[in-house]
Amino acid sequence: MRGFFLAPIVAMAFLPAALSSQTTAPGSAKAPPNAAVPRTSDGKPNLNGVWQGGSTRRGTWEEANSGLGVGGTGRDPAAPANPASQQVIREPAPYQPWAAQKVLESFNKRGIDDPTALCLPPGLPREAIVGLFPLQIVQTPQQIVILYEYMNVFRVIPLNARHPDDLVPTYMGDSVGHWEGDTLVVDVTGFNDKTWLTGTGTLHSEALHITERYTRVDKDQINYDVTMVDPNVLTKPWTIHLTIMLREGTRLQEYVCAENNLEPERHEKLLKDGVNFSRQ
Amino acid sequence: MTRPISWAWRLAAGAVWLFTMPLLAHHSFGAEYDANKPVTLTGVVTRIEWTNPHCYLHLDVTDDKGHAANWKLEGYGPNSLYRTGWRKDVTMKPGDTVTVFGWRARDGTNWAHSREITFSDGKKLFFGPPAGTGDGGSTPAVKVP
Repeated sequence: MRGFFLAPIVAMAFLPAALSSQTTAPGSAKAPPNAAVPRTSDGKPNLNGVWQGGSTRRGTWEEANSGLGVGGTGRDPAAPANPASQQVIREPAPYQPWAAQKVLESFNKRGIDDPTALCLPPGLPREAIVGLFPLQIVQTPQQIVILYEYMNVFRVIPLNARHPDDLVPTYMGDSVGHWEGDTLVVDVTGFNDKTWLTGTGTLHSEALHITERYTRVDKDQINYDVTMVDPNVLTKPWTIHLTIMLREGTRLQEYVCAENNLEPERHEKLLKDGVNFSRQ
Repeated sequence: MTRPISWAWRLAAGAVWLFTMPLLAHHSFGAEYDANKPVTLTGVVTRIEWTNPHCYLHLDVTDDKGHAANWKLEGYGPNSLYRTGWRKDVTMKPGDTVTVFGWRARDGTNWAHSREITFSDGKKLFFGPPAGTGDGGSTPAVKVP
């Protein structure tokens, strides 16, 4: 059992490898065309396929999630911890002091206030980096569609379009995209304030504005660079660099979260019974 | 293990702030279950709820004093189990005798979070994520002075 608790530490021991896979700078649009990148008939990088966020490992779902796998899913309990199952963010999130305090409160409450415990859509970029579930990209010259297995959420991303003028705040926001060389740039706005950005407690306001950059660097890997701007809670833009890995042979499945969600009731009972689950 | 860990801590203590993305799961393990209360149960499967967002395994367990109890053990959702080789109504069925390792619920009931299942032929499979999953990881996303 001890190994489970050491997993994050072991992961840190492999940091150089994890970091090196994420240091490809955004803006590779100026680089010469990458021959290793599959392309569509119009010459754009071909993003079609089923992918896994939250991983740095190549291969099929089974190969990439051997050992403990993302979320500890691996089949072989005897295998060592998988250092690539947790991706590394290199600096603390730049929250304003009052907001940082709220993030910390949520962390200390072990995320019992997680909106996804109510089966609500996870928002962005969280939905894109949930490693337990695959996503599928469907690409045409006019639009990109991303289907997420987790919560069965979808995004339609028209290319070279403008956001509607009459946006009503939503969980997943409104997305428009365009190509900058070999990088798909997606501008997302129109969010509500009911989701977390990444991990536990990472709140935001309706002023959130996200820019995602998808750069397929070879057959297996998309570099996923995300910049979050929210002047109401952050002190400066927050950029994270992650990878999304191809999972050939994987298919998306139905996910009906409300089917048997016992958590709201369980959480209410914990609080009512006064069970101490706080970190402090 | 000692050497890489100490090396990692030196790295972590350096000029650069580092934290890992928490393993993201649907629920908060840490709030509901106690990682300091591991439990190993051997019993007979009475029912399996193959449902989202989490599957549940029900197990009849008799302790050393002859007391029988039915335990409820939470696991991954069906999709994650499918992708790691589990098949509904095939891999594990009511009537099977299995040993489950997991962690007890904080409310002290016969409820636990399951991790590893050992079948009667010795085969082992994960039925649920490790302790600490979904509760924010080991480091908060922010640094508060």
